[in-house]
Amino acid sequence: MVEVVEAVKKFQREINGGTAALLLLGVLDHAPSPMYGYQIAKLIEAQSKNVDIMKQGAFYPVLRSLESAGLLESQVAPSVSSPPRRYYKITAPGRETLARWREIWDQTRDLVDAVLKGGDHVQ
Amino acid sequence: MFSSIEDYLGQLRKELSGSDRATVQDALSDAEEYLRTAVSSAPSGAGVTQAEALASVVEKYGTPAEIAAAYRQVESRTLPALAPAERGDPSAVPAPQPSALPDKRPFYARFFGVFAEPRAWGSLFYLLFTLATGIIYFTWAVTGLSVSLSFLVLIIGLPLAGLFLLSVKGIALVEGCLVEALLGGRMPRRQRFSEKKATLWQHFKSLVTDEHVWFSIIYMLLQMPLGIIYFTVFITLASVSLGIIFWPIVAVALGEPLIMTSTRQYFATGWLIPIAVVVGALLLTATMHLAKATGKAHGALAKTLLVRP
Repeated sequence: MVEVVEAVKKFQREINGGTAALLLLGVLDHAPSPMYGYQIAKLIEAQSKNVDIMKQGAFYPVLRSLESAGLLESQVAPSVSSPPRRYYKITAPGRETLARWREIWDQTRDLVDAVLKGGDHVQ
Repeated sequence: MFSSIEDYLGQLRKELSGSDRATVQDALSDAEEYLRTAVSSAPSGAGVTQAEALASVVEKYGTPAEIAAAYRQVESRTLPALAPAERGDPSAVPAPQPSALPDKRPFYARFFGVFAEPRAWGSLFYLLFTLATGIIYFTWAVTGLSVSLSFLVLIIGLPLAGLFLLSVKGIALVEGCLVEALLGGRMPRRQRFSEKKATLWQHFKSLVTDEHVWFSIIYMLLQMPLGIIYFTVFITLASVSLGIIFWPIVAVALGEPLIMTSTRQYFATGWLIPIAVVVGALLLTATMHLAKATGKAHGALAKTLLVRP
């Protein structure tokens, strides 16, 4: 039983590695203005229908690495009540990359769905 | 579980020990941004203590161990989706990594390309601007130090010293933003969290014992001599190179002597112009490179003195 739990966790981790970047690019692609980490996390939470696929804190390092790859850019702005916030916005290469990722995502999702549904086995 | 946000950050720092310093700073400031925002927007009152509110926020954000693991994972490898494209797969889009890519431009393009680099212009502007900020910082630091020290024999010296040290923290923050904006180089620095319940005296004590504040004062004092040096060197270099480029042209066009002594006049001929333009342009470009390098060095200095280790 422990092994199954471990396998489930490992699978979730590996899936998150790729989807987190896709989610973040997607959110920022639609954002009308630059957003900071907490806003992004809450927006994703609002759409996740109480299924926490990953801890919200885990989005931050992904944001950082997307920025260092040039897909996002950020700016620190002071705020009145809390420490300065880092606002992220998507770059042109980011949008380009997102478009390609979206294609890959669509293909992958269709393939996985089709295989999991089954029915194509030759008797 | 966690009595305060500082408590959480302390544990996160412990979990991350051994990681790259910048990663630790990033993780801490990210966590602080999230926790601070979340706690302040959480419903308060009605029997919910601060610790309970924090616990439910941490439940969403992740425990220090989980967060440390997430940062370490990103630090140890780039995201699978961002890894460089496989060889022999032309359809793959390589993720642009401007900072990581080695500069493959030919030598002359790299040399003259400096004029297109915002970083070089930013550095030049910062270095010239340092004369003004340096004088302001120096005056403020010397005045603040001497006034609060001399008033310490009276009781009003304490609040004066407190206000002065507080202003130093604010200036360090502003200067950090300036350095980050113009010189690049991350300045992962946040204002230290202060307990709301702390008394005035505790606030004062934490200010005086914060070595970061004292390093900031040293930085403020250093800014003036540095600003004078930067200003002199770069104004001289820039005006000399612009003079070399344009003066022969003007002299030839107006028929003015190029150089005049009390007894002689030297006139320029047309062939001097291209030579002068080339020499001046080389000097001007070298000046930009020097500005960029000096800006980088100054950024490192600012990071050492203004960033809390």
